[in-house]
Amino acid sequence: MWRRRAFLKAAGAGFAASLLPRRAAALERAELVFASSVQKREGGYAAALVTEAGDLVSSVDLPERGHDITFSPTTGQGVVFARQPGTFAVIFDPSDGTPPRTLTSVEGRHFFGHGAFSPDGKLLYATENDFENARGVIGIYDVAGGYTRIGEFDTYGTGPHEMLLMPDGETFVVANGGIETHPDYGRSELNLETMDPSIAFIERRTGRLIGQLRLEAGLHQLSIRHMAFDHRGRVWFGCQFRGPSADRPQLVGYATQDGEIRLIELPETTLGELRNYVGSVAASADGGRIGVSSPEGNTILAIDPDTATVVASLGLENGCGIAPDSVGLLASSGDGALGGFAGSPAPMTTFELNFDNHLRLLKAV
Amino acid sequence: MRLLIALLVALIAVPALAQEQKLTANEVVELAITEAIRPGFARFAEEAGSLKLNVEALGATPSEATLETARNQFKSAVTAWSRIELYRIGPLMAENRSDAILFWPDRKGIALKQVQGALAEADQTAASAETLAGKSVAMQGLGALEFLLFGADSETLAAGADFRCKYAAAIAELISGRADEMSAEWADPAGFSKRLLEPSASDPDYRSTREVLEALTGLLAHGTEAIRDQRLLPFLGRDGAAPKPKSALFWRSGMTVPSISANFEGLKALLRDSRIAEATSPDQQWVGQSAGFEFGNAERAEKLVTKPVEQAVGDPKQKKALDYMVIVTQSLDTILGENLAAALGLSVGFSSLDGD
Repeated sequence: MWRRRAFLKAAGAGFAASLLPRRAAALERAELVFASSVQKREGGYAAALVTEAGDLVSSVDLPERGHDITFSPTTGQGVVFARQPGTFAVIFDPSDGTPPRTLTSVEGRHFFGHGAFSPDGKLLYATENDFENARGVIGIYDVAGGYTRIGEFDTYGTGPHEMLLMPDGETFVVANGGIETHPDYGRSELNLETMDPSIAFIERRTGRLIGQLRLEAGLHQLSIRHMAFDHRGRVWFGCQFRGPSADRPQLVGYATQDGEIRLIELPETTLGELRNYVGSVAASADGGRIGVSSPEGNTILAIDPDTATVVASLGLENGCGIAPDSVGLLASSGDGALGGFAGSPAPMTTFELNFDNHLRLLKAV
Repeated sequence: MRLLIALLVALIAVPALAQEQKLTANEVVELAITEAIRPGFARFAEEAGSLKLNVEALGATPSEATLETARNQFKSAVTAWSRIELYRIGPLMAENRSDAILFWPDRKGIALKQVQGALAEADQTAASAETLAGKSVAMQGLGALEFLLFGADSETLAAGADFRCKYAAAIAELISGRADEMSAEWADPAGFSKRLLEPSASDPDYRSTREVLEALTGLLAHGTEAIRDQRLLPFLGRDGAAPKPKSALFWRSGMTVPSISANFEGLKALLRDSRIAEATSPDQQWVGQSAGFEFGNAERAEKLVTKPVEQAVGDPKQKKALDYMVIVTQSLDTILGENLAAALGLSVGFSSLDGD
């Protein structure tokens, strides 16, 4: 029987203790603040808040490698999820020195690294793996009850990765990557022959499946993993291809709740630069640009969703995280770089840490 | 303690090595191909060829002796395979060969169910290589062949179990054919080797020598991860869980630990014979030394595991040695995946090594 790791000793070495003096100033000056999981240069992992000016605002240590961070729309509390197959999520408050707390996934489940709050901030949802049954679930946590897990919904697929709350506040969209993993085998992929990726639209309050979209059958090894909304409310998604490396299928597309799903046609050379691997997808503040990144190909693209064409590209070694500022997009890298492109004037700066795959803009509450 | 020893080794080793000319990336790639990869695939082709002959001989003249010979040759072929199976690049990854030669991990025991199904029905399409090739890959590889040669009722082979033997021969023929193809592709100077030796902007995977070097370094780092996550932990149990020796690869033939040993040897050979660590600056030469030190630790631990895996996990000393091998893979992850990559100035970093 697989058991959860005894990791609690390492968690929450103290958010307050690691606050830097500039933190308050940065927050008060209303500079843009971004959040990302990071690897520390001295070893170990953390979640960090940084400014586009190059300042490290604060950080909270993590027991192991983290992945995405989501923020409560009402309290501003952040939750950083463990990278799969991790079993922790650390909750921290960027606005004060409240000590972080650690949430542990329940027996038989682990986190996939992504999650979302309800619009009223009362519930937290996380993509999780029911690994004995190779079934994706959304774990539901009651915030006021100390983040107790009060239930779960099916994601109607295997290996769910990113989940987002649709602009209507009532519907989840979940990227079922289709890849079966089991913690007994680490991150090994166990079903590459029979993968069945999909995008599922799910009612937030009931867990009912509203609709599920799949790419054509010949693309069953195209794992749908990350998503963002454009200004028309369409769901843009990025894929990772698990078939023969000599093949170069299209990797970026969009889906709608009306049941449309299509891959856009990126030029062959652009596709080559993505190396069959999109690591994150994010939209600009107005939804008029969609950023997609490939840390494998050291390439970040900005796509105009109206024309489905690439309008800007940035070569960034190990670049993966993308987040909006007010006018364009910022990208972060596994080598510690952070800077703007696609309209953002933010200069390229370098931090003494390595950014993980996702970058999030911290919004004022 | 390990760090201290690594430092001592480094202090002793550096002055001598520093005198030598630093190897170029292209020299490393060439050495990797000529000294580690090609000989490894050639040997597997040879062993797989012998296995095919021995299984055919078992069918032609069933006896205790021919069964014994076929079983022994299966073990030799597994060893040769295990040395190269982590060279997951080019020919091995083409045409689904890796899965077809060894369908693993197989958490749900798909291969066993399909093999037992074929035996129960005497499915004639499994009895010739030509038709077997069109069936599930789980039925075509070393796992399936192991069950036929060592699993329940395998002793009937010595008494002339006709269907079972024909099915085994079909598998051996497919494995041998694939082994020959891979060896030939690696040996072809105008084939995949050329893409590694002469990377170009138009190549979809290898645009520069740096990217080739990243791929080779990735083989080492992903290899140690695979030994841990796909070979050791599935039967040792994570986080103090009870061992599950029947979840081990090759437990029926007693090849679990020898196969893992050969996995380590394959990675060690690639590291040593490519001399990749010598392509770093003189002050980084300790990386190769400390990797060598960890491979030595793995070898010592392997030697302590003398019993078949079902018994070894119940013997405190041998279980400890197996657990220690997990620790060695973790150290090697850091040394090969982080230190070596950094010493070579590669971005086999953090986010691109394996993302999410």
